[in-house]
Amino acid sequence: MEEFLRIEHVSKKFGDFYANKDIDLTIRKGEVHTLLGENGAGKSTLMNVLIGLYQPTAGSIYLNGKKVRIDSPAQAVKLGIGMVHQHFMLVEAMTVFENIILGDRNTKGIFIDREARKKEIVELSQRYGLDVELDKPITEIAVGAQQRVEILKALYRGAELLILDEPSAALTDIEVEGLFDIMRKLTGEGKSIIFISHKMREVLRISDRITILRAGQTVCTLDRDETNGEELANLMIGRELTPSHYEKITQPGEPVVALEKVDYHKESKHNGLSGVSLTVGRGEIVGIAGVDGNGQSQLAQVVTGVLTPDAGRVDLKGSRVAQFTPNGFILESVSHIPEDRNKMGLIGNMTVKDNIVLKSTDTPQFSAAHGFFLKKRAIREYAEEMKTKYDIRCTSVEQEARNLSGGNQQKVILARELEGKPDLLVAVHPTRGLDIGATRFIHDTMVEAREKGCGVLLISADFDEILEVSDRIVVMFEGQVMGVFSGKEPPIQEISLAMAGK
Amino acid sequence: MKNSNKLISVLVPIISVLLAFAIGCVIMAVLGANPATALQSLWIGAFGNTRNLGTTLARATPLIFTSLCACFAYRCGVFNLGGEGQFIIGSVACCYVATQSGIEGFPGILLCLIVGALAGGVWALIPGLLKVYRGQNEMIISIMLNYVATLFMGVVYTNWLREGNVPQTASVPDATKLSRIFGLRTTSAFLIALVVGLLIYYFLFYTSKGFQMRAVGLNMTAAEFNGFAVKRYVLFSFVVSGLIAGLGGSAELLGTQYRLINGFAAGYGFDGVAMALIAQLHPLATILVAIFFAALRVGSTTMQAATGVPTSVSDIIQALVIVFTVAGLAMVKLPQIKAVMDRMFAKKEAA
Repeated sequence: MEEFLRIEHVSKKFGDFYANKDIDLTIRKGEVHTLLGENGAGKSTLMNVLIGLYQPTAGSIYLNGKKVRIDSPAQAVKLGIGMVHQHFMLVEAMTVFENIILGDRNTKGIFIDREARKKEIVELSQRYGLDVELDKPITEIAVGAQQRVEILKALYRGAELLILDEPSAALTDIEVEGLFDIMRKLTGEGKSIIFISHKMREVLRISDRITILRAGQTVCTLDRDETNGEELANLMIGRELTPSHYEKITQPGEPVVALEKVDYHKESKHNGLSGVSLTVGRGEIVGIAGVDGNGQSQLAQVVTGVLTPDAGRVDLKGSRVAQFTPNGFILESVSHIPEDRNKMGLIGNMTVKDNIVLKSTDTPQFSAAHGFFLKKRAIREYAEEMKTKYDIRCTSVEQEARNLSGGNQQKVILARELEGKPDLLVAVHPTRGLDIGATRFIHDTMVEAREKGCGVLLISADFDEILEVSDRIVVMFEGQVMGVFSGKEPPIQEISLAMAGK
Repeated sequence: MKNSNKLISVLVPIISVLLAFAIGCVIMAVLGANPATALQSLWIGAFGNTRNLGTTLARATPLIFTSLCACFAYRCGVFNLGGEGQFIIGSVACCYVATQSGIEGFPGILLCLIVGALAGGVWALIPGLLKVYRGQNEMIISIMLNYVATLFMGVVYTNWLREGNVPQTASVPDATKLSRIFGLRTTSAFLIALVVGLLIYYFLFYTSKGFQMRAVGLNMTAAEFNGFAVKRYVLFSFVVSGLIAGLGGSAELLGTQYRLINGFAAGYGFDGVAMALIAQLHPLATILVAIFFAALRVGSTTMQAATGVPTSVSDIIQALVIVFTVAGLAMVKLPQIKAVMDRMFAKKEAA
């Protein structure tokens, strides 16, 4: 097969960090080429380079054998590269037709020849089986149809190469079948597709070739027929077990939290829970492994009282939870390091000291006369103490929390959440975006909390982190628990297969 | 960093005021007046003697109430644009009690103020409830309720409580009027406004609940994750905000206007919103800003009499202050400007 696009030695550096390093990739005409990799493996960066949002630090891109520079998304469109983002880029209030011609420069003066445009679009859609109702507003059509609009939009602008970023994430099974039919038709006509997905089953069904990325580098490119799920999972995770810094516990104490057949928005595979049962005991760290967006956020919010499950039972320290409110869980000594520290964890415009005492200003320690007089001095002194204890680097405790670095923001949250001696700590992506030093500090702190008898539920998309600190590993996929594994000498292969839904 | 932020939040309004006056002076000069004498007469008209000062403070009083009303709700992150309606409903309820109940003197005053405040609170409860339980936009509903309140007041002074053939209500009994201070036009309503301002300041910055309410206002999601009853705070802030406006309406009626009449309280609501924003939601600064605006309004009459500069020039200055402050506060948040300022402050700190 003839090659359409070739990427040679492309690197993209952010500061000192290589998001992509020396990437080689060839896309042939008429193939579905899958990019496989964990979160942070560099897929999105590479795609952003291809559609002109990023300029590569080094390396070159060839199109039909000719070297090209893609310095803007408009240039990418001109070169025939179209992308369908995971989150659709459609104007909801406009009709399908208007969305497709949006940004089209093929107009005469200021007028749009609607009839001619419509004819072109109808021809395109019939040719590829992209069945859409042109005059319906976007809000009135299903998600699958919105995706077809996106594909049609890219084709209408002359795309020869389509990048589909996790296209099946939002679709039902039947819609996925439809999408695959369309993909086959497109490749049949000589178009190329870059398919980004985590789902092994789909990857194995639709791909012609598969390229695996890991830590910003290409691992290898394989033909579909020469490989299998197990090999792919291994290549993707691609690691030997490194001995953990921490001693693993095999005998946890009595359960702090127990979930039994908990459902939440069951029909949504990526934002729901379906029949989840698990327990976290005193003095153990339970790690939830899995690719992001398989119900982990919802699990965290159920066990902290933010979301109320649709069905099932949650027991906290042996008694059933009747009402799900964050405050109720806080009163039961449940601490939460939420996944988005700026949005959910901190009041960015308040000072470090205010954020440290956020939950406890009603206590006699920080206010007199039932909260009618804040003991500002006590608060300040306490905050200074926490600043030292948790090594929070700030100019003063009067600094606004939003001006701190990510690691220090997380330490502020830790100081608040751990000082109350929690019985259960729910930590969601606690080290996301942090450097090694801060990460290590947070792991140490979690293990220390465990030693004191706190149960820890660690949710992380970083598999290394899960392996490093978990005493037990629970794998989640599409809202379900796929398996529970020991954290001591964990069976990596089985876990990675479970993460891929096998 | 913290200090530079504070400095900026004080500097922006001051520079805005200076700029507005500079442009005002240009307009005065174009109109053929001497800006210096015009400004002088403006000052004398507003603060020149105790009588004028009294008038200025009397004019400031209702503005203090409506701007505190706006300030309080904003602190909880909700936009109560219905201060005017709550002010009016408060004064209508107050008027009814004052003229119909037959209770006069101090008990009458107390009863009137309480009933007026409660009426304002109830009026604010409507958008509050719709916001919390139905997710309606509180801004639109509270604005709409302003019209309802104004028209309702119309019914009251043209029909139900009309006095004789004139479209106005009867005056409140002399014994129920708020007493003047030192014989000036300022009444104890001004003192009530000051006390309310101080109470709000204390509540926001010295109590646990006030702290939590501010947290809700700054980041509702984080407040919810940290176990605060967000909905309850939103409702609470709306009701208290309405109470303040309603109290202001009653105080204005008992202290200055004595009767409901066409045009009562017109514009106070939005004036209050603008002033709260210029004061950057600080309750004590809000009081100062309200006095400043009242001074511009009171002084402009003297200015017109003395130099022939029309009072509308004062309106232009007031509007410019609002525009410049709001634009200035938005500007210092721009990343480019922020970078320049950070460099400036870094240099200063280093030096």
